[in-house]
Amino acid sequence: MNYDFDWRVLWTGQSGQWLLHGLLTTLELSALAWLLAAALGILSGALRTVTFKPAALLAAFYVEFFRNVPLLVWMFFWYFGVPPLLPRAFQDWLFAHGIEFLAGTLSLGVYHGARFSEVIRSGIQSIPKTQFEAALSTGLTTGQTYRLIIIPIALRLIIPPATNESLNLLKNSSIALTISVAELTFQTRQIEAYTARAFEALTAGTLIYLILCLCIAAIMARVERRVAIPGMIARVSGAEH
Amino acid sequence: MKSLMRFLLALAVMLAGLVSAEAETTPEKISRTGVLTIGTRTGSPPFAFINKQNEWVGFSIDLVEQAIVPLVAHKLGKPIKVEKKESTPQTRIPLLTSNAVDLIAGTMTDTRSRRESVDFSLTFFATGAQFLVKKGIRIKEIQDIAGKRVAAQQGSTNARIIRERVPKAVLREFPDQPTAFQALAQGQVDVYTNDGIQLAGLKAKAPNPAQWQIVGDFYSYEPYGMAMRKNESDFRHLVNVGLMEAIESGKYFELYDKWFGPKGEVPYPLTPENRRFLQMQVVPK
Repeated sequence: MNYDFDWRVLWTGQSGQWLLHGLLTTLELSALAWLLAAALGILSGALRTVTFKPAALLAAFYVEFFRNVPLLVWMFFWYFGVPPLLPRAFQDWLFAHGIEFLAGTLSLGVYHGARFSEVIRSGIQSIPKTQFEAALSTGLTTGQTYRLIIIPIALRLIIPPATNESLNLLKNSSIALTISVAELTFQTRQIEAYTARAFEALTAGTLIYLILCLCIAAIMARVERRVAIPGMIARVSGAEH
Repeated sequence: MKSLMRFLLALAVMLAGLVSAEAETTPEKISRTGVLTIGTRTGSPPFAFINKQNEWVGFSIDLVEQAIVPLVAHKLGKPIKVEKKESTPQTRIPLLTSNAVDLIAGTMTDTRSRRESVDFSLTFFATGAQFLVKKGIRIKEIQDIAGKRVAAQQGSTNARIIRERVPKAVLREFPDQPTAFQALAQGQVDVYTNDGIQLAGLKAKAPNPAQWQIVGDFYSYEPYGMAMRKNESDFRHLVNVGLMEAIESGKYFELYDKWFGPKGEVPYPLTPENRRFLQMQVVPK
């Protein structure tokens, strides 16, 4: 292979602007999907550990159904499958107002919510049973126990695997390009289409993803240290004993 | 961060260097392996597609197998097998430059900017972009799509032209033809644009062809060529001579009739101008 790299394609013409737009769309898509995933994950993760069977079953169904179907299929499901079920007027409104982005956010959020759920469940289940019992014996209801004691502790415990999931979510947002969401990977392909310079465009995209992920990982590591409860989670480096 | 970037760059340069060390021309590679690997499409009837019998066939594939391969085999003095790989608009140039395929034979438009990265054969098919819409929607020229939701294929020349000439159109780009058509069929978009011949192929394959119509004047010129690695003039010459001989002997028109004739996969009569244009590309012996 004799390939002459020409890096100028990344800052001549509209390439820079496209990359920036793509980056913003990726961030926006990932952030919204992350909020949805975190909410669904915390709710269903907590429900899976309660003693009320129907709730636990419902949460288990959600998790197993959504995490075991490929994300690409979910993209097509929300984009092609759901709109025909809606009333005509609402459908038209959606088509005229960026259903692509909405479908992308829902697929990512619901899919990763199922994966987050497992992370949260493992966090909750790693808390000794005596914690529940101690909280209940102080007069808290089950709901209060979860809200005030169990979930705050579980969330601290699961920061490393949750970081992992968040990074996956960010990278998986690139699949939204299959339903025409102009995110970062889409834009790197755009540059390739205009300049026929695939390697340069892909390298730029790769570096941006890498930098984004490293930033998130660094922020999460800092959060982990900041919120650590001294003496409680002893393995966190820097926590006092 | 800086040192990491430097490391990655160094890695990339090193890899590029490693590959270029084993400089081997395409005919040498074909002779060594006995295989000509082409990058083509699975969903672009009738140029390259999977038919009902589950065979990977098409006009572009026939041209390679019946016009180019016999010549290459003769030149190298040994039989050659053809291997096919799927190549999309995004992957085809990297597939070529990374040696994964030796020739792109699908529906690739020859453009000046693409010629900076790859070399093209002579033009084996000429078409232009049009619009596919539900029956009843009127579109005459490209400006008529302003304000409409228009699907196009990612990385295609059409998307680029629309973005530049009709910024008011709401452009939606899909990675492949079936997805774009699905969006049109369900109403996510109002119009799907692609090269006229591709739309004809899509319409012929649609569950209810009468429901669709191809409208509008050609708003672009799309000459299809076969692409190969840059600076391989011996190989390019072989490919070109194969195509020229096919046009000269009439083999090309036979194949054209097989795929685009009245009984073909996608009826699309050859205009006298296009016939003349093909013949004029044939240089004397």
